[in-house]
Amino acid sequence: MSELRLQTRNLTRAFPGGAGVHGVDLDVTAGQIHALVGLNGAGKTTLMRLLLGMLRPDSGAVRLGGCALGEAGAATWARVGHLVGHPLAYPELDAESNLTVAARMRGVPRPRIPAMVARALAELDLEQYARVRTRVLSSGNRQRLGVAGALQHDPDLVVLDEPTNALDPAGVLLVREALLRRAHAGAGVLVSSHHLDEVARIAHRITVVNRGRTIGTLDPEGVEIERAFFALVHADDERRKGCTQPSRPR
Amino acid sequence: MHTAFAAALTVEVRKFAASRVVRTATVLVVLGIAVLTGSMTAAAEAGNEEILAQLGAFADAEGWDRLAGVAAQITGAGGLLGFGVVLAWAVGREFAEGTVSGLFALPVSRATVMAAKLTTFAVWTAGVAVALVTVLAVTGVVAGNGAPDAEAFAGLGRLLALVVFSGLLAAPAAWAATLGRGLLPGIATSIGTVVVAQVMVVSGTGAWFPVAAPSLWAMRPGDVSAVQLALALLVPLISGLLAMRAWSRLQLDR
Repeated sequence: MSELRLQTRNLTRAFPGGAGVHGVDLDVTAGQIHALVGLNGAGKTTLMRLLLGMLRPDSGAVRLGGCALGEAGAATWARVGHLVGHPLAYPELDAESNLTVAARMRGVPRPRIPAMVARALAELDLEQYARVRTRVLSSGNRQRLGVAGALQHDPDLVVLDEPTNALDPAGVLLVREALLRRAHAGAGVLVSSHHLDEVARIAHRITVVNRGRTIGTLDPEGVEIERAFFALVHADDERRKGCTQPSRPR
Repeated sequence: MHTAFAAALTVEVRKFAASRVVRTATVLVVLGIAVLTGSMTAAAEAGNEEILAQLGAFADAEGWDRLAGVAAQITGAGGLLGFGVVLAWAVGREFAEGTVSGLFALPVSRATVMAAKLTTFAVWTAGVAVALVTVLAVTGVVAGNGAPDAEAFAGLGRLLALVVFSGLLAAPAAWAATLGRGLLPGIATSIGTVVVAQVMVVSGTGAWFPVAAPSLWAMRPGDVSAVQLALALLVPLISGLLAMRAWSRLQLDR
Protein backbone atom coordinates (compact mmCIF):
# COMPACT_ATOMS: atom_id res chain seq x y z
CA MET A 1 0.00 0.00 0.00
CA SER A 2 1.30 3.50 -0.86
CA GLU A 3 2.54 5.75 1.90
CA LEU A 4 -0.07 8.13 3.28
CA ARG A 5 0.88 11.77 2.79
CA LEU A 6 -2.28 13.17 4.30
CA GLN A 7 -5.17 11.73 6.23
CA THR A 8 -8.22 13.21 7.87
CA ARG A 9 -10.73 11.44 10.06
CA ASN A 10 -14.13 12.82 10.98
CA LEU A 11 -12.86 16.35 10.40
CA THR A 12 -15.41 18.93 11.42
CA ARG A 13 -15.53 22.70 11.62
CA ALA A 14 -18.94 24.30 11.71
CA PHE A 15 -19.65 27.97 11.14
CA PRO A 16 -22.75 29.77 12.36
CA GLY A 17 -25.63 28.95 10.00
CA GLY A 18 -24.43 25.41 9.35
CA ALA A 19 -21.70 26.09 6.78
CA GLY A 20 -18.27 24.51 7.16
CA VAL A 21 -17.13 20.90 6.85
CA HIS A 22 -18.68 17.99 8.67
CA GLY A 23 -17.13 14.60 9.40
CA VAL A 24 -14.75 14.47 6.45
CA ASP A 25 -12.51 11.43 5.95
CA LEU A 26 -9.85 11.91 3.30
CA ASP A 27 -6.64 10.17 2.27
CA VAL A 28 -3.92 11.38 -0.07
CA THR A 29 -1.24 8.82 -0.82
CA ALA A 30 2.25 9.19 -2.25
CA GLY A 31 2.22 9.47 -6.02
CA GLN A 32 -1.48 10.27 -6.13
CA ILE A 33 -3.30 13.30 -7.46
CA HIS A 34 -6.47 13.51 -5.45
CA ALA A 35 -9.01 16.02 -6.71
CA LEU A 36 -11.74 17.62 -4.65
CA VAL A 37 -14.60 18.82 -6.79
CA GLY A 38 -17.69 20.64 -5.70
CA LEU A 39 -19.85 23.61 -6.44
CA ASN A 40 -18.91 27.06 -5.16
CA GLY A 41 -19.35 27.16 -1.39
CA ALA A 42 -19.25 23.37 -1.05
CA GLY A 43 -16.52 23.55 1.60
CA LYS A 44 -13.39 22.75 -0.44
CA THR A 45 -11.44 25.80 0.70
CA THR A 46 -12.53 25.39 4.32
CA LEU A 47 -11.35 21.78 4.18
CA MET A 48 -7.98 22.80 2.77
CA ARG A 49 -7.59 25.51 5.40
CA LEU A 50 -8.20 22.90 8.09
CA LEU A 51 -5.54 20.64 6.59
CA LEU A 52 -2.96 23.42 6.68
CA GLY A 53 -3.68 24.81 10.14
CA MET A 54 -5.35 27.97 8.85
CA LEU A 55 -8.44 26.93 10.78
CA ARG A 56 -8.69 24.79 13.88
CA PRO A 57 -11.18 21.90 13.73
CA ASP A 58 -14.05 21.54 16.19
CA SER A 59 -13.36 17.81 16.17
CA GLY A 60 -11.59 15.14 14.17
CA ALA A 61 -7.97 14.68 13.22
CA VAL A 62 -5.49 15.56 10.49
CA ARG A 63 -2.26 13.66 9.96
CA LEU A 64 0.54 14.95 7.72
CA GLY A 65 2.86 12.09 6.84
CA GLY A 66 3.13 10.36 10.19
CA CYS A 67 2.47 13.43 12.34
CA ALA A 68 -0.67 14.79 13.91
CA LEU A 69 -1.23 18.33 12.63
CA GLY A 70 -0.66 19.92 16.04
CA GLU A 71 2.68 18.16 16.40
CA ALA A 72 4.00 18.90 12.90
CA GLY A 73 7.35 20.64 13.22
CA ALA A 74 9.55 22.61 10.86
CA ALA A 75 10.83 19.49 9.08
CA THR A 76 7.27 18.38 8.25
CA TRP A 77 6.17 21.81 7.02
CA ALA A 78 9.32 22.14 4.91
CA ARG A 79 8.01 19.20 2.86
CA VAL A 80 4.62 20.81 2.19
CA GLY A 81 3.75 23.17 -0.64
CA HIS A 82 0.46 25.01 -0.76
CA LEU A 83 -1.54 27.65 -2.55
CA VAL A 84 -4.84 28.36 -0.86
CA GLY A 85 -6.28 31.79 -1.58
CA HIS A 86 -4.05 34.54 -2.91
CA PRO A 87 -0.57 33.65 -4.21
CA LEU A 88 2.34 34.58 -1.95
CA ALA A 89 3.38 37.31 -4.39
CA TYR A 90 4.35 40.69 -2.97
CA PRO A 91 3.69 43.44 -5.53
CA GLU A 92 6.89 45.39 -4.78
CA LEU A 93 9.09 42.35 -5.50
CA ASP A 94 9.84 40.88 -8.91
CA ALA A 95 8.95 37.30 -9.78
CA GLU A 96 12.43 35.98 -8.99
CA SER A 97 12.50 37.71 -5.59
CA ASN A 98 9.05 36.39 -4.74
CA LEU A 99 10.17 32.84 -5.47
CA THR A 100 13.33 33.42 -3.43
CA VAL A 101 11.17 34.64 -0.55
CA ALA A 102 8.94 31.54 -0.85
CA ALA A 103 12.00 29.26 -0.83
CA ARG A 104 13.49 31.00 2.22
CA MET A 105 10.23 30.65 4.11
CA ARG A 106 10.18 26.93 3.24
CA GLY A 107 13.59 26.54 4.84
CA VAL A 108 15.45 25.81 1.60
CA PRO A 109 19.20 26.22 2.19
CA ARG A 110 20.41 29.48 0.65
CA PRO A 111 22.95 27.99 -1.83
CA ARG A 112 20.23 25.87 -3.44
CA ILE A 113 17.80 28.72 -4.01
CA PRO A 114 19.05 30.41 -7.23
CA ALA A 115 19.01 27.19 -9.28
CA MET A 116 15.68 26.17 -7.79
CA VAL A 117 14.11 29.53 -8.63
CA ALA A 118 15.48 29.44 -12.19
CA ARG A 119 13.96 25.99 -12.67
CA ALA A 120 10.61 27.12 -11.26
CA LEU A 121 10.52 30.18 -13.54
CA ALA A 122 11.20 27.93 -16.54
CA GLU A 123 8.65 25.29 -15.50
CA LEU A 124 5.78 27.81 -15.37
CA ASP A 125 7.10 29.83 -18.32
CA LEU A 126 7.76 32.92 -16.22
CA GLU A 127 11.36 33.59 -17.24
CA GLN A 128 10.50 36.80 -19.07
CA TYR A 129 8.99 38.15 -15.84
CA ALA A 130 11.91 37.24 -13.60
CA ARG A 131 12.88 40.88 -13.11
CA VAL A 132 9.40 42.35 -13.49
CA ARG A 133 7.65 43.59 -10.38
CA THR A 134 4.65 41.44 -9.55
CA ARG A 135 2.52 44.59 -9.28
CA VAL A 136 2.35 44.80 -13.07
CA LEU A 137 1.79 41.10 -13.80
CA SER A 138 -1.60 39.87 -14.98
CA SER A 139 -3.64 37.87 -12.47
CA GLY A 140 -2.91 34.74 -14.51
CA ASN A 141 0.84 35.23 -14.25
CA ARG A 142 0.55 35.99 -10.53
CA GLN A 143 -1.31 32.70 -10.19
CA ARG A 144 1.47 30.89 -12.10
CA LEU A 145 3.93 32.49 -9.68
CA GLY A 146 1.93 31.23 -6.72
CA VAL A 147 1.89 27.69 -8.14
CA ALA A 148 5.63 27.89 -8.86
CA GLY A 149 6.30 28.97 -5.26
CA ALA A 150 4.25 26.06 -3.93
CA LEU A 151 6.00 23.45 -6.09
CA GLN A 152 9.57 24.63 -6.53
CA HIS A 153 10.98 22.83 -3.48
CA ASP A 154 9.54 19.49 -4.66
CA PRO A 155 7.35 18.92 -1.60
CA ASP A 156 6.05 15.54 -0.46
CA LEU A 157 2.57 16.98 -0.05
CA VAL A 158 1.03 19.58 -2.34
CA VAL A 159 -2.26 21.30 -1.47
CA LEU A 160 -3.64 23.62 -4.13
CA ASP A 161 -7.01 25.34 -4.06
CA GLU A 162 -8.32 26.05 -7.56
CA PRO A 163 -4.79 26.36 -8.98
CA THR A 164 -6.00 26.98 -12.52
CA ASN A 165 -8.04 30.05 -11.55
CA ALA A 166 -7.30 32.93 -13.93
CA LEU A 167 -4.94 30.79 -16.02
CA ASP A 168 -5.04 30.77 -19.80
CA PRO A 169 -5.11 27.38 -21.58
CA ALA A 170 -1.31 27.34 -21.83
CA GLY A 171 -1.04 27.98 -18.11
CA VAL A 172 -3.52 25.19 -17.35
CA LEU A 173 -1.38 22.76 -19.34
CA LEU A 174 1.79 23.86 -17.55
CA VAL A 175 0.19 23.41 -14.13
CA ARG A 176 -1.17 19.97 -15.07
CA GLU A 177 2.25 18.84 -16.26
CA ALA A 178 3.96 20.24 -13.16
CA LEU A 179 1.52 18.38 -10.90
CA LEU A 180 1.97 15.14 -12.82
CA ARG A 181 5.75 15.46 -12.49
CA ARG A 182 5.45 15.93 -8.71
CA ALA A 183 3.11 12.95 -8.39
CA HIS A 184 5.43 10.75 -10.49
CA ALA A 185 8.25 11.76 -8.17
CA GLY A 186 6.23 10.52 -5.19
CA ALA A 187 4.40 13.57 -3.91
CA GLY A 188 0.81 13.36 -2.73
CA VAL A 189 -1.20 16.08 -4.46
CA LEU A 190 -4.55 17.39 -3.25
CA VAL A 191 -6.12 19.81 -5.66
CA SER A 192 -9.55 21.39 -5.70
CA SER A 193 -11.46 22.49 -8.75
CA HIS A 194 -14.89 23.28 -10.01
CA HIS A 195 -13.81 22.54 -13.59
CA LEU A 196 -14.46 18.85 -14.01
CA ASP A 197 -12.68 18.54 -17.31
CA GLU A 198 -9.44 19.97 -16.10
CA VAL A 199 -9.30 17.83 -13.00
CA ALA A 200 -10.44 14.65 -14.66
CA ARG A 201 -7.50 14.69 -17.05
CA ILE A 202 -4.90 14.44 -14.33
CA ALA A 203 -6.51 13.08 -11.15
CA HIS A 204 -6.09 9.51 -9.95
CA ARG A 205 -8.97 9.92 -7.55
CA ILE A 206 -11.85 12.39 -7.53
CA THR A 207 -13.85 13.07 -4.39
CA VAL A 208 -17.05 15.07 -4.59
CA VAL A 209 -17.75 17.59 -1.85
CA ASN A 210 -21.21 18.99 -1.27
CA ARG A 211 -22.44 21.17 1.59
CA GLY A 212 -19.37 20.43 3.66
CA ARG A 213 -19.42 16.66 3.29
CA THR A 214 -17.71 14.19 0.99
CA ILE A 215 -20.55 12.49 -0.83
CA GLY A 216 -18.84 10.07 -3.17
CA THR A 217 -16.19 9.59 -5.82
CA LEU A 218 -16.07 9.88 -9.59
CA ASP A 219 -14.22 7.63 -11.96
CA PRO A 220 -11.53 9.79 -13.64
CA GLU A 221 -11.61 7.45 -16.63
CA GLY A 222 -15.37 7.48 -16.86
CA VAL A 223 -17.37 9.01 -19.68
CA GLU A 224 -20.01 11.59 -18.88
CA ILE A 225 -18.16 12.56 -15.75
CA GLU A 226 -20.07 15.82 -15.55
CA ARG A 227 -23.39 14.02 -15.57
CA ALA A 228 -22.15 11.67 -12.83
CA PHE A 229 -21.06 14.67 -10.74
CA PHE A 230 -24.41 16.41 -10.95
CA ALA A 231 -26.23 13.15 -10.25
CA LEU A 232 -24.26 12.74 -7.02
CA VAL A 233 -24.85 16.33 -5.94
CA HIS A 234 -28.55 16.20 -6.81
CA ALA A 235 -29.04 12.92 -4.95
CA ASP A 236 -27.31 14.36 -1.89
CA ASP A 237 -29.42 17.52 -2.01
CA GLU A 238 -32.60 15.47 -2.30
CA ARG A 239 -31.58 13.21 0.57
CA ARG A 240 -30.98 16.19 2.83
CA LYS A 241 -34.20 17.84 1.77
CA GLY A 242 -35.98 14.65 2.79
CA CYS A 243 -34.25 14.70 6.15
CA THR A 244 -35.13 18.29 6.92
CA GLN A 245 -38.79 18.27 5.75
CA PRO A 246 -41.27 17.95 8.59
CA SER A 247 -43.30 14.74 8.52
CA ARG A 248 -46.99 15.06 7.60
CA PRO A 249 -49.50 14.73 10.38
CA ARG A 250 -51.44 11.47 10.11
CA MET B 1 20.84 33.56 14.86
CA HIS B 2 18.08 30.97 14.74
CA THR B 3 17.61 29.77 11.15
CA ALA B 4 13.85 30.39 11.01
CA PHE B 5 14.21 33.90 12.41
CA ALA B 6 17.09 34.63 10.03
CA ALA B 7 14.94 33.52 7.08
CA ALA B 8 11.94 35.59 8.20
CA LEU B 9 14.15 38.60 8.88
CA THR B 10 15.78 38.39 5.44
CA VAL B 11 12.35 38.26 3.83
CA GLU B 12 10.95 41.18 5.84
CA VAL B 13 14.02 43.34 5.18
CA ARG B 14 13.69 42.60 1.47
CA LYS B 15 10.01 43.62 1.48
CA PHE B 16 10.75 46.76 3.50
CA ALA B 17 13.62 47.81 1.26
CA ALA B 18 11.56 47.40 -1.92
CA SER B 19 8.44 49.10 -0.59
CA ARG B 20 7.23 52.44 -1.89
CA VAL B 21 5.22 52.92 1.30
CA VAL B 22 8.36 52.70 3.43
CA ARG B 23 10.37 54.90 1.08
CA THR B 24 7.67 57.56 1.02
CA ALA B 25 7.25 57.43 4.79
CA THR B 26 11.01 57.79 5.29
CA VAL B 27 11.08 60.93 3.16
CA LEU B 28 7.93 62.36 4.76
CA VAL B 29 9.08 61.76 8.33
CA VAL B 30 12.65 62.99 7.82
CA LEU B 31 12.07 65.90 5.47
CA GLY B 32 8.58 66.71 6.76
CA ILE B 33 9.73 67.11 10.36
CA ALA B 34 12.91 68.92 9.26
CA VAL B 35 11.01 71.38 7.03
CA LEU B 36 8.35 72.02 9.68
CA THR B 37 11.00 72.52 12.35
CA GLY B 38 13.07 74.80 10.15
CA SER B 39 10.10 76.92 9.08
CA MET B 40 8.64 77.21 12.60
CA THR B 41 12.03 78.15 14.01
CA ALA B 42 12.53 80.74 11.28
CA ALA B 43 9.04 82.15 11.91
CA ALA B 44 9.77 82.37 15.64
CA GLU B 45 13.05 84.17 14.90
CA ALA B 46 11.07 86.64 12.79
CA GLY B 47 8.77 87.27 15.76
CA ASN B 48 5.60 85.59 14.41
CA GLU B 49 3.24 85.84 17.41
CA GLU B 50 1.06 82.87 16.51
CA ILE B 51 4.03 80.56 16.11
CA LEU B 52 5.59 81.84 19.34
CA ALA B 53 2.32 81.07 21.14
CA GLN B 54 2.42 77.50 19.76
CA LEU B 55 5.98 76.99 20.96
CA GLY B 56 5.09 77.54 24.63
CA ALA B 57 8.20 77.19 26.78
CA PHE B 58 10.44 77.30 23.71
CA ALA B 59 9.22 80.72 22.63
CA ASP B 60 11.96 82.35 24.69
CA ALA B 61 14.64 79.78 23.83
CA GLU B 62 17.23 80.41 21.16
CA GLY B 63 19.57 78.63 18.76
CA TRP B 64 20.03 74.86 19.18
CA ASP B 65 17.81 74.77 22.24
CA ARG B 66 14.82 76.09 20.31
CA LEU B 67 15.56 73.94 17.25
CA ALA B 68 15.71 70.72 19.30
CA GLY B 69 12.65 71.72 21.35
CA VAL B 70 10.55 72.50 18.29
CA ALA B 71 11.65 69.27 16.59
CA ALA B 72 10.73 67.30 19.72
CA GLN B 73 7.27 68.89 19.80
CA ILE B 74 6.62 67.91 16.20
CA THR B 75 8.21 64.45 16.45
CA GLY B 76 6.17 63.50 19.53
CA ALA B 77 2.97 63.58 17.47
CA GLY B 78 3.99 63.49 13.80
CA GLY B 79 6.71 60.87 14.18
CA LEU B 80 4.48 58.52 16.13
CA LEU B 81 1.76 58.85 13.51
CA GLY B 82 4.17 58.26 10.61
CA PHE B 83 5.71 55.22 12.28
CA GLY B 84 2.28 53.89 13.16
CA VAL B 85 1.16 54.06 9.54
CA VAL B 86 4.22 52.11 8.38
CA LEU B 87 3.82 49.41 11.02
CA ALA B 88 0.09 49.14 10.34
CA TRP B 89 0.96 48.68 6.66
CA ALA B 90 3.69 46.10 7.33
CA VAL B 91 1.24 43.93 9.25
CA GLY B 92 -2.14 44.84 7.78
CA ARG B 93 -1.03 44.40 4.17
CA GLU B 94 -0.72 40.64 4.67
CA PHE B 95 -4.47 40.57 5.33
CA ALA B 96 -5.45 43.24 2.80
CA GLU B 97 -3.44 41.62 0.00
CA GLY B 98 -4.34 38.07 1.01
CA THR B 99 -0.71 36.97 1.37
CA VAL B 100 -1.32 35.89 4.96
CA SER B 101 -2.52 32.46 3.77
CA GLY B 102 0.96 31.90 2.33
CA LEU B 103 2.44 32.50 5.80
CA PHE B 104 0.71 29.41 7.22
CA ALA B 105 1.97 25.83 6.94
CA LEU B 106 5.63 26.88 6.86
CA PRO B 107 8.72 25.81 8.82
CA VAL B 108 8.87 29.43 9.98
CA SER B 109 6.20 30.02 12.63
CA ARG B 110 3.87 33.00 12.36
CA ALA B 111 5.09 34.33 15.71
CA THR B 112 8.59 34.35 14.19
CA VAL B 113 7.28 36.24 11.16
CA MET B 114 5.80 38.87 13.48
CA ALA B 115 9.06 39.06 15.46
CA ALA B 116 10.91 39.62 12.18
CA LYS B 117 8.46 42.34 11.17
CA LEU B 118 8.90 44.14 14.49
CA THR B 119 12.69 43.82 14.33
CA THR B 120 12.84 45.15 10.77
CA PHE B 121 10.58 48.02 11.74
CA ALA B 122 12.71 48.87 14.81
CA VAL B 123 15.92 48.88 12.74
CA TRP B 124 14.27 51.11 10.12
CA THR B 125 13.11 53.43 12.91
CA ALA B 126 16.70 53.74 14.17
CA GLY B 127 17.83 54.58 10.63
CA VAL B 128 15.14 57.25 10.32
CA ALA B 129 16.23 58.67 13.70
CA VAL B 130 19.84 59.01 12.55
CA ALA B 131 18.77 60.56 9.23
CA LEU B 132 16.38 63.03 10.86
CA VAL B 133 18.85 64.19 13.50
CA THR B 134 21.57 64.55 10.86
CA VAL B 135 19.30 66.67 8.67
CA LEU B 136 18.31 68.79 11.68
CA ALA B 137 21.95 69.26 12.68
CA VAL B 138 22.74 70.49 9.17
CA THR B 139 19.64 72.72 9.30
CA GLY B 140 20.87 74.22 12.59
CA VAL B 141 24.29 74.98 11.20
CA VAL B 142 22.85 76.47 7.99
CA ALA B 143 20.42 78.56 10.08
CA GLY B 144 23.41 80.18 11.77
CA ASN B 145 23.35 78.44 15.16
CA GLY B 146 27.08 77.77 14.86
CA ALA B 147 28.78 74.50 15.73
CA PRO B 148 26.77 72.61 18.35
CA ASP B 149 28.18 72.74 21.89
CA ALA B 150 27.81 69.99 24.51
CA GLU B 151 24.32 71.16 25.48
CA ALA B 152 23.23 71.22 21.84
CA PHE B 153 24.59 67.69 21.35
CA ALA B 154 22.65 66.55 24.42
CA GLY B 155 19.47 68.06 22.93
CA LEU B 156 20.08 66.35 19.58
CA GLY B 157 20.85 63.10 21.42
CA ARG B 158 17.51 63.29 23.27
CA LEU B 159 15.85 63.97 19.93
CA LEU B 160 17.48 60.85 18.48
CA ALA B 161 16.16 58.83 21.43
CA LEU B 162 12.72 60.40 21.01
CA VAL B 163 12.50 59.35 17.36
CA VAL B 164 13.41 55.77 18.33
CA PHE B 165 10.90 55.90 21.21
CA SER B 166 8.24 57.19 18.81
CA GLY B 167 8.83 54.17 16.59
CA LEU B 168 8.67 51.77 19.53
CA LEU B 169 5.51 53.43 20.85
CA ALA B 170 3.81 52.72 17.52
CA ALA B 171 3.96 48.97 18.30
CA PRO B 172 0.27 48.70 19.32
CA ALA B 173 -0.51 49.30 15.63
CA ALA B 174 0.87 45.81 14.86
CA TRP B 175 -1.47 44.19 17.36
CA ALA B 176 -4.46 46.26 16.23
CA ALA B 177 -3.79 45.51 12.53
CA THR B 178 -3.77 41.80 13.41
CA LEU B 179 -6.94 41.87 15.47
CA GLY B 180 -8.69 44.01 12.85
CA ARG B 181 -7.24 42.06 9.89
CA GLY B 182 -6.12 45.11 7.95
CA LEU B 183 -4.32 48.45 7.81
CA LEU B 184 -7.03 50.78 9.06
CA PRO B 185 -7.32 49.42 12.62
CA GLY B 186 -3.56 49.90 13.01
CA ILE B 187 -3.66 53.44 11.65
CA ALA B 188 -6.67 54.30 13.81
CA THR B 189 -4.86 53.00 16.87
CA SER B 190 -1.88 55.25 16.13
CA ILE B 191 -4.11 58.28 15.69
CA GLY B 192 -5.89 57.44 18.95
CA THR B 193 -2.55 57.06 20.76
CA VAL B 194 -1.39 60.50 19.57
CA VAL B 195 -4.67 62.15 20.61
CA VAL B 196 -4.65 60.55 24.08
CA ALA B 197 -0.98 61.50 24.56
CA GLN B 198 -1.72 65.12 23.68
CA VAL B 199 -4.63 65.22 26.13
CA MET B 200 -2.46 63.75 28.89
CA VAL B 201 0.27 66.31 28.25
CA VAL B 202 -2.22 69.17 28.32
CA SER B 203 -3.77 67.81 31.54
CA GLY B 204 -0.35 67.79 33.19
CA THR B 205 -0.11 64.03 33.87
CA GLY B 206 1.95 63.25 30.75
CA ALA B 207 5.10 62.09 32.50
CA TRP B 208 3.27 59.09 33.98
CA PHE B 209 1.65 58.29 30.64
CA PRO B 210 4.18 56.08 28.83
CA VAL B 211 3.27 57.34 25.35
CA ALA B 212 3.81 60.99 26.34
CA ALA B 213 6.84 60.60 28.64
CA PRO B 214 9.60 60.43 25.96
CA SER B 215 8.31 63.54 24.26
CA LEU B 216 8.21 65.49 27.54
CA TRP B 217 11.65 64.15 28.47
CA ALA B 218 13.14 65.25 25.14
CA MET B 219 11.80 68.78 25.67
CA ARG B 220 12.28 69.10 29.48
CA PRO B 221 14.53 66.31 30.71
CA GLY B 222 14.29 67.47 34.32
CA ASP B 223 10.50 66.92 34.41
CA VAL B 224 10.58 63.18 33.64
CA SER B 225 12.24 60.58 35.89
CA ALA B 226 14.13 57.53 34.64
CA VAL B 227 11.34 55.29 35.93
CA GLN B 228 8.70 57.25 34.03
CA LEU B 229 10.82 57.04 30.88
CA ALA B 230 11.48 53.34 31.35
CA LEU B 231 7.73 52.72 31.63
CA ALA B 232 7.46 53.78 27.99
CA LEU B 233 9.37 50.63 27.04
CA LEU B 234 6.55 48.51 28.41
CA VAL B 235 4.32 49.65 25.52
CA PRO B 236 6.39 48.02 22.72
CA LEU B 237 7.24 45.06 24.93
CA ILE B 238 3.66 44.21 25.85
CA SER B 239 2.08 45.04 22.50
CA GLY B 240 4.88 43.22 20.63
CA LEU B 241 4.27 40.08 22.69
CA LEU B 242 0.51 40.41 22.19
CA ALA B 243 1.00 40.77 18.43
CA MET B 244 3.22 37.67 18.33
CA ARG B 245 0.66 35.73 20.36
CA ALA B 246 -2.15 36.89 18.08
CA TRP B 247 -0.19 35.70 15.01
CA SER B 248 0.60 32.41 16.67
CA ARG B 249 -3.12 31.78 17.33
CA LEU B 250 -4.31 33.25 14.07
CA GLN B 251 -7.13 31.58 12.14
CA LEU B 252 -8.48 32.59 8.76
CA ASP B 253 -12.05 32.45 9.96
CA ARG B 254 -13.21 35.92 8.96
